Amino acid sequence: MNENLFAPFITPTIMGITTLPIIMIFPCIILSTPKRWLPNRIQTLQIWLIRQITKQMLSMHNTRGRTWALMLMSLILFIASTNLLGLLPYSFTPTTQLAMNIGMAIPLWLATVIMGFRNKPKVSLAHFLPQGTPTPLIPMLIIIETISLFIQPLALAVRLTANITAGHLLIHLIGSATLALSSISMTVSTITFTILFLLTILELAVAMIQAYVFTLLVSLYLHDNS
Amino acid sequence: MLQNFMKNVWTPLKPYYTQVYQEIWIGMGVMGYIVYKIRSADKKSKALKGSDSAAPAHRHH
Repeated sequence: MNENLFAPFITPTIMGITTLPIIMIFPCIILSTPKRWLPNRIQTLQIWLIRQITKQMLSMHNTRGRTWALMLMSLILFIASTNLLGLLPYSFTPTTQLAMNIGMAIPLWLATVIMGFRNKPKVSLAHFLPQGTPTPLIPMLIIIETISLFIQPLALAVRLTANITAGHLLIHLIGSATLALSSISMTVSTITFTILFLLTILELAVAMIQAYVFTLLVSLYLHDNS
Repeated sequence: MLQNFMKNVWTPLKPYYTQVYQEIWIGMGVMGYIVYKIRSADKKSKALKGSDSAAPAHRHH
């Protein structure tokens, strides 16, 4: 049962060669760039969606922060598309691998910190001490703020990994419970099936929300430091 | 093929790669260093575990 439960999270290999690069590039196929002035329906829909997200997400940044628009939009589209595609049966979700999420979180977070120290060093250092703290608390608060700064990339990565992995595991467990109960008691199986249905809707929402949260936090760190 | 790559990818994205994403390259370098450290530590601990399990086997003649 244990082996079976975590088998969907093993990177698929073909004859020993990992297929992870192909899986990660796959969402690019569904997002197409138009070559004409008036593209077809699906391209218009995608472009409209991307523009809406861009406008909403970049409204709070200044000019320097808006140079990151390409990076932030690629990030949210990649995470949302891989999470949503992972909800299909027998598919592999790259964002369940902690290595990949740390690989996304650490460079982006570190880039915002370095940008802050490079362009506005006094303001970046001032972030370690919130306004209006009483004097005796200052040393402890600086230590706490430093720790909270260094936890940011780990929290970003682990949040995404844990949410997506937990959702997939729950779907697997409740689905197998529904199947096992169907031969024992039909009513309980129907109740479990309803739970599964609601859970799948939740997972759809979580997939998109996690993408949004990841990108929003990166853009927040960027806003602090740009 | 390289000319196509330069025309389609590098020329439009050159200001990003050279100016905007400088800190991201530094972040990627730090992350690569962390990955290298973790991998080498893993290799060392696996080699140590292998020699540990091999040495007692050799001792019992």
